[in-house]
This record gives sequence, C-alpha cells and structure tokens, in this order.
Amino acid sequence: MASTGEALTAEAAPKKVRTRIEYRRFNVFHRWMHFLVFVSFTVLVFTGMPLKYKDTEWARWFMDLFGGVTAAGVYHRIAAVVTVFYWTLEFTFMVVMVLRSRGKLLRSPGSMMPGKKDLEDMIGMFAWFFGKGPKPQFDRYTYWEKFDYMSLMAGTVIIGMTGFMMWFPLWFTKVLPGIFLNIALVIHSNEALLAMGVIFIFVHFFSAHVKPESFPLDKVIFTGSLPVDHYKAERPLEYARRVREGTLDDVLVEKRITWKTYAADVLWWTITAFAGFCAILMTAFIIWSVFD
Amino acid sequence: MTRQRLVILLAVLVAALWLAVSGSAAAAPSTADSALNASSNGDCFRCHGQQDVKGQTIEVDGQQRSIYVDRAVYEASRHGNLACTSCHIGFKPGPHDAGQTNAWLVTAKLTACNNCHADQFEMYRGSFHGSLVFGESSGEAPVCADCHEPHNITPPDSAAFRASIDGLCARCHAEQQKTYLDSYHGKAFYLGDAQTAVCTDCHGGHKILPPSDPESMVSEQNLVATCAQCHPGANENFVGFMVHVDPQSPSSSFAVWTFWILYIMLIAVVFTFGFVHTALYIYRGIKDGLYRRSPHG
Repeated sequence: MASTGEALTAEAAPKKVRTRIEYRRFNVFHRWMHFLVFVSFTVLVFTGMPLKYKDTEWARWFMDLFGGVTAAGVYHRIAAVVTVFYWTLEFTFMVVMVLRSRGKLLRSPGSMMPGKKDLEDMIGMFAWFFGKGPKPQFDRYTYWEKFDYMSLMAGTVIIGMTGFMMWFPLWFTKVLPGIFLNIALVIHSNEALLAMGVIFIFVHFFSAHVKPESFPLDKVIFTGSLPVDHYKAERPLEYARRVREGTLDDVLVEKRITWKTYAADVLWWTITAFAGFCAILMTAFIIWSVFD
Repeated sequence: MTRQRLVILLAVLVAALWLAVSGSAAAAPSTADSALNASSNGDCFRCHGQQDVKGQTIEVDGQQRSIYVDRAVYEASRHGNLACTSCHIGFKPGPHDAGQTNAWLVTAKLTACNNCHADQFEMYRGSFHGSLVFGESSGEAPVCADCHEPHNITPPDSAAFRASIDGLCARCHAEQQKTYLDSYHGKAFYLGDAQTAVCTDCHGGHKILPPSDPESMVSEQNLVATCAQCHPGANENFVGFMVHVDPQSPSSSFAVWTFWILYIMLIAVVFTFGFVHTALYIYRGIKDGLYRRSPHG
C-alpha cells in the first residue's frame, strides 16, 4: 500500500499525461463486491417483486419479459447463489481483518461498527436540518452508510435463510415444523420490501444520487477514488485523522486522465441511469399497487 | 412384381384398412352403439341456435338460464360430434313440455354423463359434492356440468382447463381461493406456471372429500402421500405447511400473523424515518444552495 505514496513523489513523467492526485476511498475488492451486490440485488428484486404483487398488471409484464414465472424463478435462484457468494466472501474478509487487527479495527473511527458518535451525528444532522447548528463532520462512514451496510449484511441472512427454506422445503422440514415454511414466506416477502425501500429509495439511492453532496451521481464506488479536496470536504475527520497519523500517502493515488477516464464515466452514467430507472420504476409500481 | 406378391400386398392393405375403420369405431363406441350422432342436431339448433333466442331464459329452481347454444362453439368442442339428445335424453323437436324440461333438469342432467364416464361418475357419486346432490339436501352442490361446461367442454388435461380450475372452485370457495393464490403454489399458478399444484391436485377432482374423512386426499392419514406426488420424501413436518393461511388474520394462524404484523411495523418505522430524514436533508440542501455547489454536478 505504501507503493502508491512513492509513486506520488516520482517527478519523472516521461510523456505529457494529464494526472490528478486522488483520494482512494474504495479498493478493487470493495468495487467488485458492490458490483456483485448491484447485479444480484436488481435481478432478485425484479424476479421476486412480481410474485409479491401478483395481482398487478406489471407483475405479468415482468414475467413475460423473463419468459415466464418458471424462468424468472431460475434467475432468482442464480442471483441467490451470487448473493451467498458475495456475502460469504465479505463476511470472511471482515472477520479476518478484525482478527488480524486483534479487534482494533472494530474500535477504529473509520470502522463500520455503529458507536456513540453515530447517535450524536444523527441528532446533529436533525439540528442542522432545522438550522439549529452546523452540519456534523463525518469520519470514513456516516451513520446512514453504516445502517445501509449493516442492514444489508443482516437482511441477507434473514432473506437468504427464508429463501433457502422455500427452495429446499423437504430438507428443512426434516427438522423444522411445516409452519416455518408459512412464516418463511411472510418474512421473505416483507424483508424484500424493506430491503428494496432501504436500497432503492431511502438510504442507498438517496445517499448516492439525491443528497446535495452527491447529486446527481457519486461514482466513487465505480472509480474507487475522487479528487482529494472533494473527499476532504465530505469526510473531514478521516482526512484529518490520516494527516495526523501520517497515513494519508497510503490512500493517495495518481490518477491518469485519458480518454479512458471519460469512456468509463459514460459507462458509470449508463449503469446508474439504468439502475435509477429500475429503482424509480419498481418504486412507482409498488406505490401504485399499494394505493390502487 | 409377381402376381403372388401383389395379392399379399393387397391383402395387407385391406387388413390395414379394416383395422383402421374398426379401430376408430371402437374408439367411439358410445356414438356408434347408441346410434346417436350430430346429424339430428340441426333440428335443435333451428331454435336454440338462433341469435334472437340469445336473451331468452327459462326459470329453473328460481334461476334464469339461457336457452341459447352457440353452435360453432359446441361443434368445435370435444363433444361436438354428439347428438344433443345423447345428454338431453328424450327431448323431441318442437316446443318442449315444461314438466319434461324440469324433470330432465332434476334427474337426467345429473346422470347423463354416467352413460360414457362411468368411472368418473362413480367417484363423483361417492364424493362430498355427490353425496349432497344425491342425498337429501342437494342445495347448491355442483353437478358435473357446473365444472365441465357442457356446451363447450374442454379436455380436463388441457392447459386451458387447468388454468380455470381455481376459478371453478372459487364460485363456492372464494376464501380458499384467496389464501391459495397468496401461497407459494398459488402465486406461481396465477402467473402462469402450469406445473405447480392447483386445487384438484391436492383435493382430487371427482372424489373430493372433507379432511375429516380418512379417505380424503387431504386427511391426516393421506396428506403425506398427497404431497409426495410432487415432493417425494415429504414427511409429517412437511405436510404441516398450511396452504390456506391468511397472514393478515390472527385467527387464521396466530404465529404467522405475529411475524406479519412485526414486519409491517418495522417497515412502517424504517420507511417513515427514512422519508422524514430524506425530505429534511433535501430541504436543507436546497435552502443552503448546496445543490449548486455539488462537487459531482
């Protein structure tokens, strides 16, 4: 990791290439994890929600789009397997990193663990909303990002367990009574709606596209890094902490601005537009069905 | 080709022709045996096929019923080659006697199907529906024609008939249809899965019996075997799964309802908080002009 710091100090740039010093917020692992979550979650929502709202017109459109309810079930299960894969990988990495740091990582201000500061930040944000105080300063993760992450990790266990109960009912009822299958459907279906609301509307979509600091698209999860001054403004505490600890160089990268940078931007915008379209569409459909 | 070979070939051809003819005759013994065929149906359709009788009805058991039959639909149906009188036994051209019509409706209509479908009829007679019809209180229990639309009969193994099954049962068992359609099987069935279980796969078609009857497909004794038709290896636990449960009703299953209501409350809390937080954040962002200064814009 220290190598990136050295690269910065290298003055010798043989060709005239536009470069920019950026702050690396997410590494390749984070970005791939997000990609897997992104794809599998979208497939799961679009193949699952039509079952929950089976009486609606759009439920039939989607089933026709996927080539029938049986085919949609196959895609749903494939996406479920991807979900198990990314969850296991993420969880394993998390445990390994916590163990390697001898638990220090959990107490670090940059960790995902919710703490006292998050509660203070939330109160502070409400004060700021009403003009009763300054906007709180954040470290690496805000309280809504921690909620986003934690609810996804916990929700995946709940929705995954109940999903597998319905996928392999014979296996599970070797031990569990049959009523668990009824309960599994209720949990799976409502947890799905909850997760969809959190990801598609209130927390994740809002956090990445709607809040003023990110509007209309914060593409850092795709690119991995962002201009240093942007990050400094967004997460001043992490920046200050790194300066204080002398670890800033670990996360500074020299980004080469070439045609590829712009081509990638087009790709991120396309993906985002697609995801945004999906999110708005599904949300509108569900609100429509609830009030219809 | 020698003369001998030609004779053999001819003999084979004649034999094949004879087999084909006798085979087709054997396949439809009822029509051949009773000498009933559709050729006389013109007499019936002369009145009952008229467009202007479409609105005409007769009163049967206090219900108004149409006397019109769509000839094209009937003739395209599975029974299209049968004479009307093979089911409407004893009817003759010309205005019918009201007494005869009513007598047919209470007796012959119930047993006409028995003439060709004796096996199914026996099962039906022994079923709960059959016992009501042939017992003291016929009430509103369905007869054959209530599920197998007589003038547009569909093969019961056809996709069209299968897709209509839940609707047929729902005319009396609407509450059970609702809970079924909200269940795992029902959702898939509703959206077009032809493989998944529908009413008759678990309850039977002709010999439907209440769960309290040990012979019923859904009795305690038979439930494991019934589920095992599609889920080989089903055990006592497995069949404890309730198809007809309404999660939104505490009296249906308190345990299932508990999870339902807990989730509804959780969703309400999270969404309300999310909405308020989001709305206030946007409000503050606009008020402070933060959107104009967004670094990502």
